[in-house]
Amino acid sequence: MEKTLRLKAKELLESGEVKVVIGYGWNRSKTRTTPVFITDPADVDTLVWNPLCVNNLSLYLTRKYKEIKALGRPAIVAKGCDIRNIVVLITEGQFKREDVFIIGMTCNGTVYKQDLWKGELTPNIMPTKCHNCDVRNPHVTDFVVGEKSTFTPPEVPTGMVYDKVKDLDSKSQSERWAFWVKEFSRCVKCYACRQVCPLCYCERCITEKNMPQWIETSAHPRGNLSWNLTRAMHLVGRCTFCGECERSCPVNIPLNLINQKMIGVVKEAFDFKSGYDEKTHPPMIVFSPDDKENFIK
Amino acid sequence: MPRIGVFVCQCGNNIAATVDTKKVAEEMGKLPGVVYTCDYKFMCSSPGQEMLRQAIKENKLDGIIVSACSPHMHEKTFRKAAEGAGLNPYQCEITNIREQCSWVHHDKTKAAGTVKSIDLTRMTIQRLKKNQPLKKIKIPVKKKAMVIGGGIAGIQAALDIAEGGREVILVEKEPSIGGNMARLSETFPTMDCSQCILTPKMVEAELNENITLYTYSEVEKVDGYIGNFTVTVRRKSKYVDEERCTGCGECIEKCPFKVDSQFELGLNKRKVIYTPFPQSVPNVPVIDAPNCTKIQKDKCGACAIVCGPKCIDFKMEDKLVTEEVGAIVVATGYQNMPNERFGEYGYGRIKDVISGMQFERLASSSGPTGGEIRRPSDGKIPQSVVFIQCVGSRDEKKGVSYCSKICCMYTAKHTKLYSHKVHGGQSYVFYMDIRSGGKRYEEFVRGAIEHEGAMYLRGRVSRVYEKNGKIMVQGADTLSGNQVEIEADMVVLATAVVSRDGADTLAQRLGIGYDKYKFYNEYHPKLKPVETVTAGIYLAGTCMGPMDIPESVAQGSAAASKVLALFSADEMAREPITSVVNRTTCNACWDCVTACPYTAIEREAIKDRQGNVVRWVAKVNDGVCQGCGVCVAACRSKSIDLKGYTDEQVFAAINAF
Repeated sequence: MEKTLRLKAKELLESGEVKVVIGYGWNRSKTRTTPVFITDPADVDTLVWNPLCVNNLSLYLTRKYKEIKALGRPAIVAKGCDIRNIVVLITEGQFKREDVFIIGMTCNGTVYKQDLWKGELTPNIMPTKCHNCDVRNPHVTDFVVGEKSTFTPPEVPTGMVYDKVKDLDSKSQSERWAFWVKEFSRCVKCYACRQVCPLCYCERCITEKNMPQWIETSAHPRGNLSWNLTRAMHLVGRCTFCGECERSCPVNIPLNLINQKMIGVVKEAFDFKSGYDEKTHPPMIVFSPDDKENFIK
Repeated sequence: MPRIGVFVCQCGNNIAATVDTKKVAEEMGKLPGVVYTCDYKFMCSSPGQEMLRQAIKENKLDGIIVSACSPHMHEKTFRKAAEGAGLNPYQCEITNIREQCSWVHHDKTKAAGTVKSIDLTRMTIQRLKKNQPLKKIKIPVKKKAMVIGGGIAGIQAALDIAEGGREVILVEKEPSIGGNMARLSETFPTMDCSQCILTPKMVEAELNENITLYTYSEVEKVDGYIGNFTVTVRRKSKYVDEERCTGCGECIEKCPFKVDSQFELGLNKRKVIYTPFPQSVPNVPVIDAPNCTKIQKDKCGACAIVCGPKCIDFKMEDKLVTEEVGAIVVATGYQNMPNERFGEYGYGRIKDVISGMQFERLASSSGPTGGEIRRPSDGKIPQSVVFIQCVGSRDEKKGVSYCSKICCMYTAKHTKLYSHKVHGGQSYVFYMDIRSGGKRYEEFVRGAIEHEGAMYLRGRVSRVYEKNGKIMVQGADTLSGNQVEIEADMVVLATAVVSRDGADTLAQRLGIGYDKYKFYNEYHPKLKPVETVTAGIYLAGTCMGPMDIPESVAQGSAAASKVLALFSADEMAREPITSVVNRTTCNACWDCVTACPYTAIEREAIKDRQGNVVRWVAKVNDGVCQGCGVCVAACRSKSIDLKGYTDEQVFAAINAF
């Protein structure tokens, strides 16, 4: 797979069809993969592909990375789950489909955290999303690398995140509240969750609006709660459950839980899953006379 | 330092009973920036307003707060008074201490009410400190209107607007204007002939110099906003040159092919080149292209040969016409629910089970039988007729839950027509309730029952079937408690009035709301019955729900008066409560564009001096924006603010709490 990937990258760069290939490369000690940005066809051998390629590189297509935009048309090495984010970015007008060359990677799952890698991909080191993945064969691509995957996700999604959501749902309102207050109290407002999220692409985040300052910036429980709830609300109907926020959180706040819960709510209310169709705008933000109004009681 | 005045209203005893207004005024006087306070019995009265003006002048106030009733009641009054004293009207804010305070508190000691009033007023003071003076928005108005739908409501609206001296374009989907009313025989309660009262209006519309008729045309696209709509109309190809056609009818005569007539609801045939009915306006035939052998297979062409002025062109194509108008009246009317849904009544299975509208055609002197009631199967005169009311109406399971409103009246009319035309015939009516509210309506129905011999049976019909050439109608008579079976020669179903097919598509094009039955929503069911949420678009007639002819006509006139009022000035002043985009922080995610119910937000390209697009941002069109604030909530980067309700103002108010 790596060979095909490198050949394609070389071809794209040499023909001038793209100016930069965004992909994965090794770190110096070859223990982790890290994003690489290849502009010279001679460097394509830097590109790698293996289960450590967990990062969601679609982040580098957003307006947050102006210096990458300035390089010219990009090609991106993307797993199906990453492509879902690219699709959302397209629906939200961040760029056009033809503005990016998508090299879709057929994927058999990744490790949840790179440190867990012991040389073999076993189910217990894969994140919940991989166990329920329906885009192992990437769905929106210009070029596909890899053999077709025959994996079919279970009908009822399974895994730790779903179990925990169910567990939380069964608790009382005050118990849930206590749970989240406790979890959020650890937040140090480093905003890693925001920086790593491909859909948190605002040039000025609401937390940085100080006239007026809606969200307190200090790591105080009140500001923590408003930040984390605002972040979750801003992703409703958009989040693709890529898991990058939780993976990057230094204090292990279970952000996947809140994201997955909201995905479930949107699925139920609008029968919508984000990141599959680049023509459908996330439903939470679309005025439609047909919207159900059964929430008004 | 601001110089704020606080005026607390007692509203007689409405507020003063549970709120100590004097104390509220005193407490407010202690706050920084407040230089004048008072309380008074009726702030909205002339002396009250005068007091306010005096205080503004004498104390050089730069902002005022009236703590009184809901801003819905008197915000305008007080802002006008403030303006009279030289203050920007938007520097006047209202605190609602009546609906939101005194009326919900019953504590006669005034403790709770007073505390809450103080809190609310204090919040408004902080909010007021962040107010910006605003200016009314002026929008130029194009003084030309479009009426969509050429039924009686649309015709009336077009005529009234034209009478007012303004140009109107009347768009009609069918080859002739007239709508459903043209199909009717007589009209209740006066029993005058429908066509006799309608056709003069149709001709008037054709001859009026201010009215342009676009028949056989449909609205394809609507852009713009109040005063400045751009409407694209598809003028479907008639294959006949309207300008040169003399309406002689030779072509219709010669056309050798016949198909079912939609106008006659399948009771009669028409030619392939046709006018829907003899009095069609304009009297220009159209060719029904799918059925025309010349157009489909290049055979025949008889019509073109006989045409004197040579105005038939088989190669004619649809034309798209763009019109700029200032206001739109939607009068697209209704249709009847398809009877096929009601298998138990035998429609489609038994030939002599017909719909009420088909009965109208049978009774009409211009109809297929020349006004004689003859049943469709064998042309015999039916000696007994059963009328079934509420077919589909008031039937949540199989039809619609609402009452179609006109059926009780037209069924009574049918029984009368039947008894006038078939002497000795017996009519039976199965009904649920008789709803005959309206001037001379009840008398009309009583007349049908008491003088014309119609037999009214309260109950539902369970089954209609054929037996020995008769139609057997089984049903319940709930008043006597018996099951009844009637031998009938013909059965007439009063089918529900429903919205037109495609009503939702048109509503989406226009940006107006509709209910679950796809009837269009008025702005306010009582106080704004012909307006829509989209400024500049008005409604008339049955596109809003079932109504009879007088109501439709009244609405046509009402909509026209709204249009004329809009056209009475060159510019229109609008409340400046609109959204504004911060272009430096906008991410161009277009969430606001999709969230806006009024399509008021556009995509704007910011270009450099060479004309290259540097970035895209959202732009609010002041003319269309209604200030609902949905975009403010939708914007994740908080790049949209609502003038008059800015983040700063709201934040200040919350902080003061």
